[in-house]
Amino acid sequence: MSGARERLAAEQAALLRALLAGGQPPAGFDEIALQVEADALLAKRRRVVAQLAPEVADKLEERYRPLFDEYARAHPRTVGSRAREDAAAFREWLIAGGHVAEPQRRWWRRT
Amino acid sequence: MGELGVGIGWRSEIDLTVERMPGIDFVEVVAENIHHDSLPESLRVLLDRGVPVLPHAVSLSLGGADPVDGARLDHLAAVTDALGAPMASDHVCFVRAGGLDSGHLMPVPRTRDALDVLTANVKTAQAALGVPLALENIAALLRWPDEELTEAQFLSELVERTGCMLLVDVANMWANGRNLGQDPADLLDGLPLDRIAYVHVAGGVERDGVYHDTHAHPVPPGVLDVLRELCSRVRPPGVLLERDDLYPTDAALLAELDAIRGVLAATA
Repeated sequence: MSGARERLAAEQAALLRALLAGGQPPAGFDEIALQVEADALLAKRRRVVAQLAPEVADKLEERYRPLFDEYARAHPRTVGSRAREDAAAFREWLIAGGHVAEPQRRWWRRT
Repeated sequence: MGELGVGIGWRSEIDLTVERMPGIDFVEVVAENIHHDSLPESLRVLLDRGVPVLPHAVSLSLGGADPVDGARLDHLAAVTDALGAPMASDHVCFVRAGGLDSGHLMPVPRTRDALDVLTANVKTAQAALGVPLALENIAALLRWPDEELTEAQFLSELVERTGCMLLVDVANMWANGRNLGQDPADLLDGLPLDRIAYVHVAGGVERDGVYHDTHAHPVPPGVLDVLRELCSRVRPPGVLLERDDLYPTDAALLAELDAIRGVLAATA
């Protein structure tokens, strides 16, 4: 059983690395299907953050999607992270990268 | 397991809609969205009315290589207990691996290794829950290479080895038919239909030739066709409509529930 867990762990980790963190496509997978899956996971994450931080999505307008995707690819969700933390980290990333000005008064609510 | 009837997924965004809807026999709540010691008032109203509220988990990652997360399992057990639910459910999938969280339900490779791990994880979950566990077939956008078992074989063996129930999602079957070429009829042919706890129905949308099971769009006729196919073989104890986003009018939700009732009546 421990052998089965180890083999499965390696397979699943390689797949998630490819889908979420720019890892090499694992052997044997259809590369188009991998791209479709990666896009679907990214779209879901983008949608969740837009729901949790609507003011950020509204402020960025059409820049939201490309900026979020750039952030998300560089910062895959790790085990134990929460969606609210993801939204907060995206806000910080936007400020750190100069994509939005640091507000005088915070235009988001800290959670 | 008694008769459940026709139900809808309770979501906080449509709590009043669900409360006021006529003919709702049971509801389901996403277990991760509630806490056992502060249940939403709307769920209390439904429970007081005698409407079963079934917890549906999305994060146990039972098909994952990591051992089951005890805190997540404790949460599901506590919520199940607080709801007085006759069963709990999650999916045949993995969510986390290698320190990463996919944020969604990922297909497990249908191999002997994966079945062994899944079986052990399911037994761990069953031991922690005081009620039967039902496991749901998911919609996948990709296939693993070198699979050793069909989905029907994989799920049947899981049922045999763990005694779990099946939460059969006909929308996921239809999606896999569209995207992966897996014929829903083949899956129905091979599943132990007497182990169905209840059935999920949901909508989706096609984009760039790929069908996405969004739970945010209308139920396509093809999904009802799979429900009809299932009901022509077995009478499922319950059928539940899932809608998670872009909520339509109450009338549109009622019409989708009526369409489900129509299939049940036509196959009775």
